[in-house]
Amino acid sequence: MDKDKNKKIGKQVERWDLFARLTPTLFLVTSGLLVLFNIVTLEIAFYIGLTGFAVTAVTWWWWAIFTIRYLIQTLTRASANLGEVNEEVILIKEELAELKDDE
Amino acid sequence: MMNDKTFRIIKAATNVISGMSMATLIILGVLYIGFNNAFVFNNAGIAVTNNPVTGDQINFILEGSRRHECTLTRVHSDAYDDTTGESYQFDFARKIYIRSNDYLGSDTGVVDHQWAMPVPDGMGPGVYRVSLYSEFDCVYLLFKKTKIQMFDNISLVIE
Repeated sequence: MDKDKNKKIGKQVERWDLFARLTPTLFLVTSGLLVLFNIVTLEIAFYIGLTGFAVTAVTWWWWAIFTIRYLIQTLTRASANLGEVNEEVILIKEELAELKDDE
Repeated sequence: MMNDKTFRIIKAATNVISGMSMATLIILGVLYIGFNNAFVFNNAGIAVTNNPVTGDQINFILEGSRRHECTLTRVHSDAYDDTTGESYQFDFARKIYIRSNDYLGSDTGVVDHQWAMPVPDGMGPGVYRVSLYSEFDCVYLLFKKTKIQMFDNISLVIE
């Protein structure tokens, strides 16, 4: 279950990476050409860019919040599990020491 | 399949191009907002220089500063007499330039523009409130916009 979610997050990070690499250049070139050929006005291109920027910022913000929350939960669980293992190792050590003493 | 080195170079190149595109978009966006919100004239005012007017000509002065390249496309001006309620329209077709070496500050950005217009027909003695409505086509880098600037409460005294 966690492995699937980790894979999902990994894929999402890759998608964000690709989006960040391609979108600004694609938008700049596309809007530049559309304005150059008078298909859209500069004002419309500006507002489309502003809307895209705002939507991306809000989407990324919520994605980051949920991902960080998931990572913190995973870390807390892993840390708790490690603590349990540590306690068990100490117990085993003590038992081994007792066994040695008995011998 | 591309090798690791080529992949790294492409990744680095897309990083640089994307960063530069983002910086360009942000700079253009900020410049556009600045241009869009800017007035045609800053700290500007219009006044009548030959108050009280005794002859048949009214002299005006426009002083201020200007940041962007703007061309006047339409102008309209009225004089109101608050006591009688009468209004007179100025005829800009009969406008005479008194001082216009640097047209609306196109070279220096400093506007010192003086012009004269005849007293409208039938305009009697009195104190008038002049308002001036002007439309400009302003250009800045690759941006172009039609802007409106109004000047109100210009005092005119006719004797």
